[in-house]
Amino acid sequence: MGKHAQVRVPMTARERNDRIFAGALLLPSVLITVIFILVPVADSVIKSFLDFKVKNIISGTPGSWNHFGNYIKLFSSGRLGMAVAHTLVFVAAVVIAQFILGMILALILNSDIRFTRFVRSIMMAPWVVPTIISGLIWMWMYQPQYGLLKYLVGIFSGGKMTDFAILNDPNTALLGITIAALWKQIPLTTLLLVSGLTNVSADLLEAATIDGANGVKRFVYITIPSIMSVIKITVSMAIIENFKQFPLFWTMTGGGPDNATTTLAILSYREAFVSNNLGSGAAVTTVWMLLMIVVVFVYNRVFKDVEMN
Amino acid sequence: MKKQTLALVMAAIMGLTTACSGSGGQTQGTTGAPAQAAEPAKEAESETKAPADAEITEPVTIKFANYAVLEAGYDVYWNQLLEEFAAENPNITVELVTAPYGEIVNTVINMAGGGDMVDLMYGELDWIPTMVEAGMAAPAADVLSSELMADIYPSILEACSIDGVAYGVPMYVSPFLLYYNKDLFEKAGLDPEAPPTTYEEMLEMAPKLAALTTEDGNKVYAFGLTTASVPVSGACLTSSIHNFGGTVLDAEGSLAIDQGFRDAVAMWKTLHESGYNPENSKLKDLRNLFALGQLAMYYDQSWGFNGVKSINPDAADFIASAAPLAGGSGSGESVLQAGTLMVMNNDDARKAATAKLVDFILSEDKISEYFETVTPAYPSRQSMEELQVVKDSALLAGAAGSVGKVKPVTFIPTLSDLNLELCTLAQAVTLSGKDVDTAIAEFEASAANVIQ
Repeated sequence: MGKHAQVRVPMTARERNDRIFAGALLLPSVLITVIFILVPVADSVIKSFLDFKVKNIISGTPGSWNHFGNYIKLFSSGRLGMAVAHTLVFVAAVVIAQFILGMILALILNSDIRFTRFVRSIMMAPWVVPTIISGLIWMWMYQPQYGLLKYLVGIFSGGKMTDFAILNDPNTALLGITIAALWKQIPLTTLLLVSGLTNVSADLLEAATIDGANGVKRFVYITIPSIMSVIKITVSMAIIENFKQFPLFWTMTGGGPDNATTTLAILSYREAFVSNNLGSGAAVTTVWMLLMIVVVFVYNRVFKDVEMN
Repeated sequence: MKKQTLALVMAAIMGLTTACSGSGGQTQGTTGAPAQAAEPAKEAESETKAPADAEITEPVTIKFANYAVLEAGYDVYWNQLLEEFAAENPNITVELVTAPYGEIVNTVINMAGGGDMVDLMYGELDWIPTMVEAGMAAPAADVLSSELMADIYPSILEACSIDGVAYGVPMYVSPFLLYYNKDLFEKAGLDPEAPPTTYEEMLEMAPKLAALTTEDGNKVYAFGLTTASVPVSGACLTSSIHNFGGTVLDAEGSLAIDQGFRDAVAMWKTLHESGYNPENSKLKDLRNLFALGQLAMYYDQSWGFNGVKSINPDAADFIASAAPLAGGSGSGESVLQAGTLMVMNNDDARKAATAKLVDFILSEDKISEYFETVTPAYPSRQSMEELQVVKDSALLAGAAGSVGKVKPVTFIPTLSDLNLELCTLAQAVTLSGKDVDTAIAEFEASAANVIQ
């Protein structure tokens, strides 16, 4: 057979008590998860199949089944594909750039250069700033008539470019928001990676150096594998954070210009809270959630061999 | 074992407190005067069939949703008004419900969803269809005094109506009028007392204005029309379409794109390609540029002057108004904008108290004070036609009579989203460089989806 027969060992009274005790400790968390996460998600999915508007909430009347009307409208409008594409491009750009820049900063801060402790503390400032305020700050910097970016572009182009407005061009608006998102999120990524780097075995690094490994080899073969679990958590957080990014988009562009920054978050908000069609908004949210599940699933498959320690 | 028991107790407490934290908080976000006397139980007892103009003998509490009390320049006026109202009406307690401009509608809807409906809401005219669709707004005639209703200009009341029923009364009104900078006109060799009356005239003047620069070398834009993705920009673009005699929606609420619509969109493209219009600007951006002398003319509500003045207190020296421009086969019709009071469906006692508050807000003294101390606008009541403060307003003189040339907008529940689609259309012909026909075809497809 090639398999060992499994022998059931009777549970002792102590083991049984421990299991009951562990279950009792878990119960509040399970209840909270079910009540505040699973039930609302299920409710949202159900509402995505209904004609459900604000008046249903206020009058207390249930929504009515609308024969997949919300989904038919969503898929036939042509806006869903565009929103999915913008969301994926934004998430990929921010997560990749955030990881590379965060890692570079983390390596610098983990080295023996002076003032790293001071830099580490002030570096967290953008992360502390509320996202909407970050959006407003960047809007001012991008302002087309008197913004800082326009001024800098004017100087560096030798006065040739005088009307650079990153958020007004459908080709560059997403880049403008990506930069703002990076400014806000890189500090946390850096902090997490620094915490991982501090735990890399100095002995291993020293042994590799003695064996003749250069800096790149030490980084690729020792540092990265040693902090893989931290990287996995950090990148997962970044994917989720940017998938649900809404305040920066709504504050800075409102989904424009010419829908160039309309993501699933913007589409969902417009359906649910501008058009006040909660059923239609729930349909967008359901598609959005499924997409996020797929991305996180694929990501976890790629990193499936990483031990979480 | 003791540790285990303690851990279990702690876990139970955590669960219990978390569960408890989800309840209550009905009046979250509510600020304002403390409840003086009324209690919910007493309110229920005092449910009588009071007519709108009945005497309030029992204590009653009403809720007034007002974003303006959070805004500098408006807060002092509103707080003082409510204090005076409280002094005159000791039986009525007004609780303010506040949220920023962009959030007040959702705040009011969320409260109503929890069974706590405000009695009165101050906001944009375009919010009426949302409130009606939500089943919150009450017909104004069912709540407000017949004397007040009869005194509102019929055309203004029509602008607040859905299927012939008015769901609010404007406190003050204004079309999207043309503000222009007399100093820049003079500097460009134009007559500062003769602003353009048509788009053709404006395009003739524009090159001279666009050739100017400010003292510190910044560019001067000739003409500002807001196109950024916010609903009020869509309202302004609708006004521009009306200038050309065009329509967006017919009386049934269906898309009705006509030649006037096409002419207006072509004009947006011309303005962009000539570099006259600051790209993708919100109204506040245009006010900013105008205040700094970087914009010669732009469309705004009359109360937009308040924003200009807050940036440049000397703006009154150079600002003047003119009637909306006529374009194509149009005659310069516009869209009515209004600071509107919307009444909600609560019990009769609260409706009676609400009617008293609305009467107070719309009294001649308070409206005069508002126009004098806060911002200029036109009254909505016929009895205030000769209001001295309006007659004396040099700022509004140039646009006199333009309120009479507004064209009603058909209210549909998704009007705000349709307005955002109009912004997308404007951005398509300007920032994306699409031709007019292609952009309008795309708009038709997306707008049909919104109107569905």
